[in-house]
Amino acid sequence: MKKRERSLEELYRDDPERADALLYNRKTGTSRRGFLGGAGVAAMGAMVGGTIPFSQNMPAGFVPAAFAQATPPAPPEKKGPQLLDFPGKDKNLVVLGDRPLVAETPESLLDDDTTPTAKFFIRNNGNPPATVAAPDTWKLAIDGEVNKPLEISLGDLKKNYKPQTLRMVLECGGNGRGFFSPTARGNQWNNGGAGCAEWTGVSLADVLKTAGVKPSGVYTANYGADAHLSGDPKQLTLSRGVRMAKAMEPQSLLVWAMNGKPLENVHGGPLRLIIPGWAGSVSHKWVTKITIRDKEHDGPGMLGTNYRVPINPMVPGAKEDPKNFRILESMLVRSIITSPANGSKLAAGTRELKLRGASWAGDLTVKQVEVSVDFGQTWVRVNLNPPKNKFDWQRWTANVKVPSDGYYEVWAKATDQNGKAQPHVAANWNPQGYGSNPFHRVAVLIG
Amino acid sequence: MNTKKRAAFAVRSLFAGLLVVVAFAGVSAIAQQQPQFVPQAEDPDNFPAGPGRDDAFYACAGCHAFRLVANQGLTRERWNETINYMTERHGMPKLEGKDRELILNYLAKTYPPKQEQNRQFQNPFLKQ
Ligand code: HEC
Repeated sequence: MKKRERSLEELYRDDPERADALLYNRKTGTSRRGFLGGAGVAAMGAMVGGTIPFSQNMPAGFVPAAFAQATPPAPPEKKGPQLLDFPGKDKNLVVLGDRPLVAETPESLLDDDTTPTAKFFIRNNGNPPATVAAPDTWKLAIDGEVNKPLEISLGDLKKNYKPQTLRMVLECGGNGRGFFSPTARGNQWNNGGAGCAEWTGVSLADVLKTAGVKPSGVYTANYGADAHLSGDPKQLTLSRGVRMAKAMEPQSLLVWAMNGKPLENVHGGPLRLIIPGWAGSVSHKWVTKITIRDKEHDGPGMLGTNYRVPINPMVPGAKEDPKNFRILESMLVRSIITSPANGSKLAAGTRELKLRGASWAGDLTVKQVEVSVDFGQTWVRVNLNPPKNKFDWQRWTANVKVPSDGYYEVWAKATDQNGKAQPHVAANWNPQGYGSNPFHRVAVLIG
Repeated sequence: MNTKKRAAFAVRSLFAGLLVVVAFAGVSAIAQQQPQFVPQAEDPDNFPAGPGRDDAFYACAGCHAFRLVANQGLTRERWNETINYMTERHGMPKLEGKDRELILNYLAKTYPPKQEQNRQFQNPFLKQ
């Protein structure tokens, strides 16, 4: 079959003016841009593997040299999940989207007590900034409702404040979205938009104390250096925030190291926030500024149905009432079976399943985890470890008897300290699919 | 663009081109220490044929992969809202009139709500 020459690169290479017109001038003459300040720059930047500096000056139809030379990668595989091919990353991460890059960790890869960086999920919302040659010069500003606005370098953060290392779960707000029915809009995560790493940094509260938050300061507004996918510098990728009480928790950190190594660019290095227990989007990557506000933050990602869940349950798939939504704060209780992997074949005659897993519950701890190998008719309590520190996950093990060879499903159900357990199916449907935490299911075949 | 503007533009193109190439060299040198991800190329042929397919592709693949669109399964009403959302939240040029109708038709027809969720539990021992 003859392939038509029409990928975005090919379009730009063959007839840049036309490519431009196709992408940006679809309507009439009115939106004609003399310069390619918009989406194309970001798109091309993403394809050549970097942001394009001076994109403001970039003329319409102009193709940067590096871009013109880029050989287009192989067309996407039609069958099976696309696996991540990225230096330093495990080859079994599943790409949910590659522009922007979103990759999830299959549950069976979360079998380590501490998730290695190579296996840690990736969620980008925009185009990451270029790697910084001298990380310690990275600057963070604190302003808004403070007595003394600050601008502090990463070097000074390390010097002037007491560093600490905590093992804490970071979880994407949309984790589990793929279990909603009908489909909710967004990346279709299984349970692998989560991981638990050792984060090194200083407590945000200590830095805020230097700035002196005024009594009027009630909410943070966080900003990062990633560029909006459209390439429009006036647009923000995302700016979310948290109530002051959450920002002031001792475990809310400004982080520069992950698992003992400098924080990689792909995970928000050189400096990011880790605000554990809440949707990952408040833990801004490449953090540059925190503005203290005198009211709930209303930046992009705070309003509408973004990172919000219904107050009263709505009809799944129906049109939402915007007044019926509240901010998703703490993530919900979840457990995963990390061994055996879904689809494992076990030797004939196996009569005991050796199970391992992890569980966590946002701001809360997990009270118990139960497993069932008979579709929920009977449940067995697992051996549940306590967390190492607050916001650490809780690893568990269980040995469960099975009566015969054949097909079994292992189900896992965690209950948080307040007695709320995971539901059988994703509950509280909402258009953008937050708060989905049904039982994890793993199928094994004995014999 | 009128001819006068075009001429000025040609000169600036050259200048900007040089800047961009120089800047690129810098970026790629650093990028060797910590690489950035290169997404796969896409073209409309990767997606189901139908009226409006190419229009939808070019309208939606500028900022993000078209696959992000193709991975969804939404009702026509939700696709319609998604188009508004792209304009309101992300600055997509407004889609109106015949273009909008064509694109909306393609999206609603090609990517309706899924019967079998693509990521929901699937028996791993039955070959699809
Ligand atoms: C001007 C840039 C731009 C254009 C053009 C654009 N989008 Fe988007 N779109 C975005 C951004 C930015 C996101 C957020 C990406 C992320 O966070 O991963 C997004 C996300 C999405 C999502 C994910 C769901 C969600 O709730 O975040 C869908 C679906 C989507 N776009 C559909 C479309 C469709 C359909 C079109 C064409 C009609 C389109 N987009 C064109 C910028 C754009």
